Amino acid sequence: MIGRILLYIFLAAGMAATTFPFLWMITTAFKTLPEALSPSLHLLPVQWQWRNFIETFQAAPFGRYFFNSFLVGTAVTAAVIVSSLMAGYAFARLDFRGRSLLFGVVLATMMVPFEATLIPNFAMIRRLGWYNAYPALIVPWCANAFSIFLMRQAFMALPGDYFDAAKVDGCGHLRFLLRVGSPLVKPALVTVGLFAFLGSYNSLIWPLVVTSEDTMRVVQVGLTVFSGAEGVRLHLLMCASTIVILPTVALYFAAQKNFLESSLGSGLKG
Amino acid sequence: MFRWCVWGFVCAFLTSCGSGGPAGAPSASEKPPFKPIDPSVAVFWDRQTTETGALIRTLVDEFNAKRPHGLSIKIEHTGGYSDIFRKVSASIQAGALPAMAVAYQSMTAEYAQAGAVADLEPFVHDAKSGLGPEELDDFYPVVFETNRYPDFGGKMLSFPFCKSVLMLYFNKEVLSKAGFDAPPATWDEFIHQCRRIKAKTGKPAYAVSVDCSTITGMIFSLGGDLCDGKRTLFDSPQAIQAFEIIETLAKEKLGYQITPGSYDDETALAQGSVAFCIRSSSGRTNVAMLMQGAQDQWGMARLPQGDPANPRTVLFGPNICIFNTTPEQQQAAWDFVKFFTSREIGVRWALGTGYLPIRKSAADDPGLKKFWDAWPYNRAAFDCLPFAKSEPNLGGWQEVRALVEKAETEVLAGLKTGRDAAIELKRKADAVLSTQ
Repeated sequence: MIGRILLYIFLAAGMAATTFPFLWMITTAFKTLPEALSPSLHLLPVQWQWRNFIETFQAAPFGRYFFNSFLVGTAVTAAVIVSSLMAGYAFARLDFRGRSLLFGVVLATMMVPFEATLIPNFAMIRRLGWYNAYPALIVPWCANAFSIFLMRQAFMALPGDYFDAAKVDGCGHLRFLLRVGSPLVKPALVTVGLFAFLGSYNSLIWPLVVTSEDTMRVVQVGLTVFSGAEGVRLHLLMCASTIVILPTVALYFAAQKNFLESSLGSGLKG
Repeated sequence: MFRWCVWGFVCAFLTSCGSGGPAGAPSASEKPPFKPIDPSVAVFWDRQTTETGALIRTLVDEFNAKRPHGLSIKIEHTGGYSDIFRKVSASIQAGALPAMAVAYQSMTAEYAQAGAVADLEPFVHDAKSGLGPEELDDFYPVVFETNRYPDFGGKMLSFPFCKSVLMLYFNKEVLSKAGFDAPPATWDEFIHQCRRIKAKTGKPAYAVSVDCSTITGMIFSLGGDLCDGKRTLFDSPQAIQAFEIIETLAKEKLGYQITPGSYDDETALAQGSVAFCIRSSSGRTNVAMLMQGAQDQWGMARLPQGDPANPRTVLFGPNICIFNTTPEQQQAAWDFVKFFTSREIGVRWALGTGYLPIRKSAADDPGLKKFWDAWPYNRAAFDCLPFAKSEPNLGGWQEVRALVEKAETEVLAGLKTGRDAAIELKRKADAVLSTQ
């Protein structure tokens, strides 16, 4: 009994430690600037500043930023799901010369830091005429090594008997992939989609570099307007952060079941 | 169609995997023909946000309204200085640049290496659109000279934009509780006041924001200098004394280091947790906001000095550089720079932001006089301009700045004595500059 109480105390402390920053962010959105900057960790504002939300939306066109973030995030997610599904299947199930070498090359791209590719990628975007346009925000992120790796592992975990049985019934690779393979690797696919959307939604430097118009910018760029050369408007920044974080939290809860399944490492249940 | 789809996918894949190498970077000697990033307007990459962002957009609109012919200026917020540097560097590689951008001297020097920056001397002295002798004389020499680059034949590669000086901010209430009615005039007085405040309150008196400019300002105010040619002077008595002051503050717990990159020192000052912080004069508006209008509780003064009869402080703040694009773009950019640095606009900018007007004649402006009369400390920063001095425009100085901050942190953490840190800094900084 005592052990159980201790366990609950331990878990409650862990929960408090992880949720406190979120609660602090939300309540700071309703504080004045001096109160927000106060070293005290009190949660509730002395006087609730509802006006902060009006000021936040007046500071930047967040409506447009949200539209762009969702559009870009959805397109990137769809493209990553398609590319990683096909590439992952090919690396797991197709026999072709140089497969291991090619897979090694794909994995090696994970070692190249984003900063190293920023300038050449930007130069390419300029030459393609995509500066300040949606393709610049979408196309460079349509495939990534991590998602391909994840999908390859998911397909490798499938028993070969599935494919053999489908083959006997006259099923080719593409039909197997679409009709049989994809439903079986759904948790991994959802995880890939979740990571792709969050990666796109949370990116800052790339959208900042390849766009210049407010009509093309995304929510994370919008958050930078509250950090000036001589100070941070912490109350407004937290207000904007609270709004910006909502879709990602909702998405996580919607995909939580599949995400946990995938995290546990298997899409098959005995 | 299928083939195009496949090629599109391959291109996307290669782009995302970073397989593209750097596009042919122009060598230092070449003058590549940079295309304007938007030929229909003169794009200005800036970093101002919130109220200052709104003000500069208003000024741009006014400029465009007064200019029915020629290119309009289009201002684009491009993040912080590091973001602007990254974006300009990438744009240099891509061969297309805006008309102008805000830049610190070290950034301009990097752009100049790629031949991307225009020499402003022909614009300044142009008979039609340049500045006449009287106008040139109206600028404080220091704000002008800081834009000449010794590594590039002393050319003027940027123009003063937002200038500020290093100031001492003080909380009057904390000082008064310790029995002082004025901020310290010398560094000895500063230490004395810090000790008394610590004894009275039991808390550190000074919140230290580790920044190279603070050390630079201390060295200048003690009568020292930073460089003699490409040789640094961090082993000079004044530089050693500056680091020893930091050592005393750390050893006796008279000061504490704030989180790097934060403005916790200004917050601590506003909350009366400390008596002092040392910051740019442009921080005035932020501190005023934190003090919630309680102007009788705080003030700003020039830095404590070695010799108050010969005061000195450090000048800083970004400049504007105009890029080597088309003559039309450059002319529009120069016209805007001239408009922005005119006496009238300079005063409006100063009143709205906390930056300093860079023309001497601004002192006669009725609006500015009214502002100075409104609060005795409003004038303090402007009065420092005649004796302010900027950091050197040497290649590699950005790296030296990082070394200075590392040395200051080591002293504050008690890892090194002030003298040892200064001597080692001298050795490392000289090594950096000698490789340029």
